[in-house]
Amino acid sequence: MIDGAGAIPLEHVIWFAITLFLIGVVGILIRRNVIFILLSLELMMNAAAVVFIAAGAFHDQADGQVMFMFILALAAAEVAVALGLVVQLSRRFKTLDIDAVSEMTG
Amino acid sequence: MNTQTTLLACLPYIVLSAGLLVVMLGVCIRRTHFVAWSLTMVTLLATLASHLPGYEALGGGTGVTMLFHVDGISYVFNVLFVLAAIFTAVIAYQYVDERFRFREEFYLLLLAATLGSLMLPSATHFVSLLLGLEIVSISLYAMVAYPEKVRGPLEAGLKYMILSGASTSAILFGMALIYAASGSMEFSQVSPVSGSAEGDIFYLIGHAFFWSGIAFKLSLVPFHIWTPDVYQGAPSIVTGFIATVSKGGVFVVVMRYVMESDVLSSEAITQAIFLIAAISMIVGNLLALQQKDLKRLLAYSSIAHMGYLVIALLLVATQPAIGFETAIVYLAGYFVMTLAAFGVITVISHRSDSEMASIDDINGLLWRRPIPAATLVVSALSLAGIPLTMGFIAKFYLFAAGIEGEMWTLVGLLVLGSAIGIFYYLRIIFAMTSKPEGQLDATQRESWTGIGAVAVLGVATLGLGIYPTPLVDLVQNLVRVSGF
Repeated sequence: MIDGAGAIPLEHVIWFAITLFLIGVVGILIRRNVIFILLSLELMMNAAAVVFIAAGAFHDQADGQVMFMFILALAAAEVAVALGLVVQLSRRFKTLDIDAVSEMTG
Repeated sequence: MNTQTTLLACLPYIVLSAGLLVVMLGVCIRRTHFVAWSLTMVTLLATLASHLPGYEALGGGTGVTMLFHVDGISYVFNVLFVLAAIFTAVIAYQYVDERFRFREEFYLLLLAATLGSLMLPSATHFVSLLLGLEIVSISLYAMVAYPEKVRGPLEAGLKYMILSGASTSAILFGMALIYAASGSMEFSQVSPVSGSAEGDIFYLIGHAFFWSGIAFKLSLVPFHIWTPDVYQGAPSIVTGFIATVSKGGVFVVVMRYVMESDVLSSEAITQAIFLIAAISMIVGNLLALQQKDLKRLLAYSSIAHMGYLVIALLLVATQPAIGFETAIVYLAGYFVMTLAAFGVITVISHRSDSEMASIDDINGLLWRRPIPAATLVVSALSLAGIPLTMGFIAKFYLFAAGIEGEMWTLVGLLVLGSAIGIFYYLRIIFAMTSKPEGQLDATQRESWTGIGAVAVLGVATLGLGIYPTPLVDLVQNLVRVSGF
């Protein structure tokens, strides 16, 4: 419940989502395992999804939930391609460490 | 809005989607590289042609549901993107043929990416923005990492996938906050409604996320880290596609967003975009100075070029006609010269184990492979903005637009950046014209389709630079018809 008596205010949901998003960002920055990086990416997308749902309820519109569906589809497509790359990585380098492939700099 | 007009306006999208399915089915039935390639070319040419009937019915533009608004502007960018895809497919043929084990799917990805990019210029809603953006990006992850045997593409693909995914999340999160603050996802209704302090804060935070994500996709400083690595690691022809169609699409959709909403009425947001543009021009050009690899050099130069182009973005809120005219001319020029440069790298790498992309590789190229080398000379001169090339016309337009909008700092930096740019672009030319060492490898079989396409791009760069009137007239006409 977003609206009405005793409801969670929209601001609280947004601050919660911002925290979630930042956890995802930190995860991408410090984790070296590709699987965990993908998890962090998922966390960031779902943080956005939470805000969409909450804001949709706040404004009394279905738009937020429609957007959530799109985010689900998008995240699935992204992960499908990403896992393909992860398989390549583990096959060729026998590791999931992202730094193993990193050689371009400058 | 009657159904027939709407259908005609959507015709390019329908044709391209249908063609995509045909190619997909064709690959299922029988794997033949040439057939898949031909079907792709037919699809792209049909898409190009399908803009004609729609254009006549279009008038001042027509809304297709609440998600899209198809008008002259979207059509001109569509044509630009489809042309870029056609040149990409033509130049890629030999490259794909000799390097990839699974060849046919490459064209599916190319068509899908083109479809996504066609959605961007007419998007007027966050949903269509997101869809277009992601169809392009996800197809590109696979295209970047397509070659299996070499190391660079996998690294580039992983880096691009993770960073682009993060930037998409940032854009999404920004959209969510903007939606929370404004209660609408249509571009024209995005503004803080409440007037409450908290609504305004979320609106601003949302825009901070949104613009960082966008700056990422356009590779503007300080979100440019991925650019050189992805440019270098990806197959050259894919790099050319990323540099032109992907970035062009993102830029156009942002222009429409800025034009239809009143984002730039917020002083803080304008200042931030201004700052990002200024830093991009300086940092891009300075970092390009010390590059030894042609693709990395072009990556840094693209950072600077995108920085220049932001001038048009800042102008579009107040003077949409001039803003769009500038953006169209600039992007058209940038497309031609960038595709020419990456096309040349693809063509000269023909029949060699790795890509010939370092400055040493192109030493004396003019004596060994005159046609590609001459094209690269023209392209480098054009990127530097030397008169009698398309790049000069494009830069001149930006200069005029900057003066029109009284953005003196940015105009000053544009001039300064171009001056620094001449140095590293001339280095490419000096390397190519220097005396050749060793034997001429004349036995090499050339990729004539690729050379032909590249030569056309080179001639176009020169031709439009010497006689730009038809292009300029066309663009002015289109902008007027679209009703600004």
